[in-house]
Amino acid sequence: MPLQAQTTDLRSGAVLADRAPAAPRRGLSTTLRREGRLAYAILTPSLLVMLCLVVYPFFAAIFLSMQDKMVGAAGHFVGFANYLELFRDDVFQRTAWNSVVYTVVAVAIKFVIGLTMALVLDQERRFNNIFRTLLFLPWAVPVVIVTLNWRWIYDDLSGFLNNFLITFHITHDIISWLSDPRLAMACVIAVVVWAGTPFYAMTFLAGLQSIAKELYEAAEIDGASLIQQFFYITVPRLQTIFITTVMLSTIWTATNLTFVLILTRGGPASRTDIFPHLAYQVALGARRLGMGAAVSLVFFPVLAVFIVFLTRRMLRERED
Amino acid sequence: MASVARTRRLLRWVGNGLLVVMLVWTLVPFYWMLATSFKKDREIYGFEATLIPRHPTLDSYRRVFVQTPFVKYLRNSTIVAVGTTAGSLVLGCLGAYALARLRFRGRGIIARGLIFTYLVPPALLFIPLFAVMSFLALTDTREGLILVYLGFTVPFCTWLLLGYFRSVPFELEEAALVDGCSRLGALVRVILPMSLPALAVVAFFSFTQAWNEFIYANVLVNSVEARTITTGLTLFIVEDVFFWGPMMAAACLATLPPVMLYLAFQRWVVKGLTLGAVKG
Amino acid sequence: MKDRTATRRQVLKAAGVAVTAAASPWWLVRTSHAQRAKKIVFWHVPNFTPLADELQKQQVYEFAKQAGVKEAEVEYAVVANEQFQAKLAAAIEAGNPPDVTRLYESNVQYYASNGHLLDVNDIVEKMRREPKGIFESALASVIYKGRAMGVPLAVNPWPVHARLDLLEQARLEYPKTWDEFIETSKKIQSPPRLFAFGMCLGLVEDTTDNVMNLLWCYGGKMVEADNRTVVMNSPENAAGVKVIEAMFKTHKIIPPGAISWDNSGNNKAYQSKQAAFVMNPSSIYAYLDGNDKDLQKVTGLFPVPAGPKGTVNQIDTWAYGAFKKNPYPELARGLLDYFMQPANYDKIIQSTGGRWVPVYKRLFDSPFWRERPAFKHFIQMAETGVPVSYAGAPTPAAGEVLNTQLVPKMIQRVLVENWEAARALDECHKKIAEVYARYAKG
Repeated sequence: MPLQAQTTDLRSGAVLADRAPAAPRRGLSTTLRREGRLAYAILTPSLLVMLCLVVYPFFAAIFLSMQDKMVGAAGHFVGFANYLELFRDDVFQRTAWNSVVYTVVAVAIKFVIGLTMALVLDQERRFNNIFRTLLFLPWAVPVVIVTLNWRWIYDDLSGFLNNFLITFHITHDIISWLSDPRLAMACVIAVVVWAGTPFYAMTFLAGLQSIAKELYEAAEIDGASLIQQFFYITVPRLQTIFITTVMLSTIWTATNLTFVLILTRGGPASRTDIFPHLAYQVALGARRLGMGAAVSLVFFPVLAVFIVFLTRRMLRERED
Repeated sequence: MASVARTRRLLRWVGNGLLVVMLVWTLVPFYWMLATSFKKDREIYGFEATLIPRHPTLDSYRRVFVQTPFVKYLRNSTIVAVGTTAGSLVLGCLGAYALARLRFRGRGIIARGLIFTYLVPPALLFIPLFAVMSFLALTDTREGLILVYLGFTVPFCTWLLLGYFRSVPFELEEAALVDGCSRLGALVRVILPMSLPALAVVAFFSFTQAWNEFIYANVLVNSVEARTITTGLTLFIVEDVFFWGPMMAAACLATLPPVMLYLAFQRWVVKGLTLGAVKG
Repeated sequence: MKDRTATRRQVLKAAGVAVTAAASPWWLVRTSHAQRAKKIVFWHVPNFTPLADELQKQQVYEFAKQAGVKEAEVEYAVVANEQFQAKLAAAIEAGNPPDVTRLYESNVQYYASNGHLLDVNDIVEKMRREPKGIFESALASVIYKGRAMGVPLAVNPWPVHARLDLLEQARLEYPKTWDEFIETSKKIQSPPRLFAFGMCLGLVEDTTDNVMNLLWCYGGKMVEADNRTVVMNSPENAAGVKVIEAMFKTHKIIPPGAISWDNSGNNKAYQSKQAAFVMNPSSIYAYLDGNDKDLQKVTGLFPVPAGPKGTVNQIDTWAYGAFKKNPYPELARGLLDYFMQPANYDKIIQSTGGRWVPVYKRLFDSPFWRERPAFKHFIQMAETGVPVSYAGAPTPAAGEVLNTQLVPKMIQRVLVENWEAARALDECHKKIAEVYARYAKG
């Protein structure tokens, strides 16, 4: 079979037609049609799953948020009434503020600690592999278990923290970690950080290790200090990873309700209530499904910006 | 030159110090979970609580197996996780192959759509999902959970494999096609064997996502016959008000499978995560 | 030639894949429908009475055997108290509620009003025909539009559990008024190991119960008997809230951690000797019966201390509900009937160690109740107690107020964010009024 010359790179597949064995006999359009049919046949199950489980529910959520539907009852269309009620209530302000603080602080801390972890693990030392395995361990543990464990650690009468602090005479009184309004949010964020930092460290470390050592050596010969090396070699090359990781993590952190649900149920005095948790309580606790949908959609526009951005980035990486 | 060497040595010390701190920070919660699971009730609560178990006992573990349907939860979690993994592998490979090798109209849109659906957060969707799942009569079933999990593992796995398949040189496939192999045959016979690391990563991600998932499992499944471990643990308030011992025991047991998988696959996992995110 | 064959095979294979993919949802649906192999699905909500839990489970299986249902066809699922509300809501919405479960107060009204419950009027009528009948106060939450939609199974007073030994040590009597209560508390407590008053203050239902109970003693209430006029921002309520504030901030007789307690927080505090007075149904007393007889011996059950407007005690009622969406409704009704047969019912009542006050008046005449000094005040509390929605009835609106923690949020505004009592009550009043207004419309 005579093969056409390869003119473009392997990964895009854009010139497949020229190399398909059948092309000379059958003609380009037939082959394309056949490929198209095959492709759609193969993709049908995946597309069905996407449609049923993500696309349809997404639009159903929008529609639901405009009804006054309660659990077990039919709903009536009420337009934007749910949203209006939500905006008028100061619950909205408080929840929005909490959500922003929670997400921004958690992501920032995860970034800093994650980068530090990656830099430390990038250094050469014995047993680095073991240390790396241990430090990344929290990532494999189910979030529910992490949260239950930390709730127990924070327990005021019998938890590890109070036990430890009192045994070693660092404090005399028990500290009510999750009941103190000044401490509660910080305690929740600490758990989020504990569980989520390995993800950052993992991606950053992979990035660090892919930077050729020769670059650093060359820079050093040219007299660059370590700090200069970091900012002029490391950071630019890690930029892509930084951005992707932070954006992904922002979406995941902002929409995770497990931590709050199990640690504080939104308290004390709604200090730790964030949007996904509020949506859950409104939908299933107060049994107002329409309102719950409205609450969860209210913060979606912000996330949508991230999602669109991230989609384009992740695809571009695939197409390069 | 000398100052750089000195700075390097300093950094080494700082690095080691930070390493110790981070190790302590990471490992203490694991220790506490394990220690509690081995303590007697008396040592767990109140002011007689101890930091190190003085009279270690397996009683909490016994209670987990004897007094609760924990074994059923384990079984269910395993079935759901394995099912999700199988589904993700099949659908992911097929989808990635189609997007990587086949040329057809709408390819770009589908690719973008896949990523987009992956990124839509589950916390948004669980409310309307009731209607979908009860229409399909899939609530309270393991199959239903598998289907729901495929909703987020398939796009991610497709994306992951897409990058990998693209980097497989076409010549080998081409040779197979020339020999009369069908397209799908080429996928199975040529591409897959070369993508074992990526497949390992896909299997790992799907398994752990399904094993660890909480919100959908909690909200869509109530029957004990279909409950998974994550829900089961939170429902663990048995007859006792004091349930932390057995709960930590159950937590330790439930953490083992994903941790063991992670230990086995870790090298590939890290690489897989960064496929495409890393530009050398 | 080879190409064409290869191509056709390709297309056929692809078609095969597509057909399977398209057919699989229907296959899944069919197999799932076949899966409702369970003939009886019972959700059990544990309530700190392990003996009763065990007995109840036995009775479910006994009934099943009697009705010719195999053990494998019975599902007995335990659902934690904390999560029950949300899980039931999710199950109803998903279309697979349990067959029978215990419903708390206003939930019967809510699900009945949406047509989800089976009519069980005949079973309740049969109960009323027993000699001496039943406590009519238990019927308030189960009658919907003249028909009983739930089977009342217990009337639960909320006494104060008190450490008699500590009182004796300090040579004090159980306080008769809230003022006395505060003084007594200060004398018998030794923080941080032992606080006097384990008042639940977390974002959970027990807090609403504890707080409202105290407010009633000061003449306050949530809503009037017409179930429409909300009176949360009354000066009486403000007076009561100020007392709680003083207890927490000034006199410091409440453990600070109570702010994040769940419903078992006060149980745990009393049972591990870290609180001396706790307002809770007698589940604590029953727990001690099986686990700490020494502590039980020195535990007294008392009515709530009196405020300027006297003593008011709380009761809550439990009912069994049977859901309509059930292919075997006769089995569900049979199970309810079986539970409520006096012989079976009495067994469970006795095993709860006083946790459940029987619905059948006749059972009160047994030695179990008459001969225990701890229950001296119980019977009177059962007869005169009021529900948490006082002065209104347990309507769905009251249920939502309870479920959305409006009162706990109010008290936390005062205790945590240092709001003025009146301001916090105003906010709470507005929210409660909104809830009642919404249910009044629909």
